[in-house]
Amino acid sequence: MISPTSRHRYNSDAETLPVGYNSTILKEFVDTLERLGDAQTLDVGPVCQENITFFARRMARHHVCDMFSWLKRENGKELRTGDEWKYFDYPERNFNGIQLWDLCDYLEDADMIRLVKLCYKMLRASGLLMLIAFEKKPAVSIANTFVIGQGYRVDIRPQPHLELPWKFRHNRALTSLLSHFIIVRSFRYHSGIREFLFKKPKSVRD
Amino acid sequence: MLKRPKKDENNTSFPAAGTAEVKPTPPTPSPNVSPERYTSEEKTTIGERITIEGSIRGDENLTIEGAMKGNIEMGKHNFSIGPNGRIDGEIHAQDVTINGQFKGTIKALGKVAVTKKADFNGEIKAKSFSVEDGAYFKGVVELDREPHKQPAAAEIPRGPSVPEAAKKPIVPRTDVKVEK
Repeated sequence: MISPTSRHRYNSDAETLPVGYNSTILKEFVDTLERLGDAQTLDVGPVCQENITFFARRMARHHVCDMFSWLKRENGKELRTGDEWKYFDYPERNFNGIQLWDLCDYLEDADMIRLVKLCYKMLRASGLLMLIAFEKKPAVSIANTFVIGQGYRVDIRPQPHLELPWKFRHNRALTSLLSHFIIVRSFRYHSGIREFLFKKPKSVRD
Repeated sequence: MLKRPKKDENNTSFPAAGTAEVKPTPPTPSPNVSPERYTSEEKTTIGERITIEGSIRGDENLTIEGAMKGNIEMGKHNFSIGPNGRIDGEIHAQDVTINGQFKGTIKALGKVAVTKKADFNGEIKAKSFSVEDGAYFKGVVELDREPHKQPAAAEIPRGPSVPEAAKKPIVPRTDVKVEK
């Protein structure tokens, strides 16, 4: 069962952004894909030069589709037509890894389910899905970039142009939404950041 | 409108370190002059009210402020799209700066720079790349790759031969990591 999400305005535990940290999940994600030699990855944004360069120098083909900017544009529309996700139009079984970052923190359950289904289709067998979620409401409701630095250190850079409503999900709600995937590893940092690494099971079809 | 020749005073792309105080010098008619030196002196701008359908081949730097559909071949010279420029096609150049709308493929010998004013949808193959936060970007980026690790005993099983270790079921682990 999917637990309901809650908007941050109902969460009184507003916090300033945590400082940078060394990401164990990111290291595992990158190390695993680098070993393939010809991996294709997808980054859903926000657009970040450091991250694009980091992955483009390590993967055979690195795709970027800034879903945060897309979300900002969609949120500005009064009516939704139902074909919004056409923007996220990649072939099936195309990627070895997808970096969702904290996109899920900005999606309602219906959109989150849609996103997870699409990611599942786009990933190859045993493909990896990496995601991050904040435990507490950020003081300012704007999206952030998780900027990759030396030694898999990740620093958080706010994106003032991406003011988006933020949602909170407990671990159980998150993993339940991603129940088609195998959870490989998860970390909870004292800074209030949760990281998850999921894997698409190897299916007969793939 | 074609404006030529034009000094590079408004060209904000790819500023070289330590060039702020460089005084303009007349071009030296030497056959050994480097392309970079030559291209820093010459630049053509295609104005906002110009629409081109076809292909362009050039031997000096070019900026398009208008609309263009087709291929652009600049060799070892730089190319840029102005803030109101719209291009649909393929670009081959030394360095490329995107300030406006672009849809297509860029193959650069040097750097591709996408500014926050840009709306980019396409593929980039270049030596280096920069993008400003705030740019609309959907695409593929291929840069010169770092030597990657040799494929080891596959952590991700691929193909029919799967090592014994990889056949074991994944045990979900939830760890708590303390960051000081």
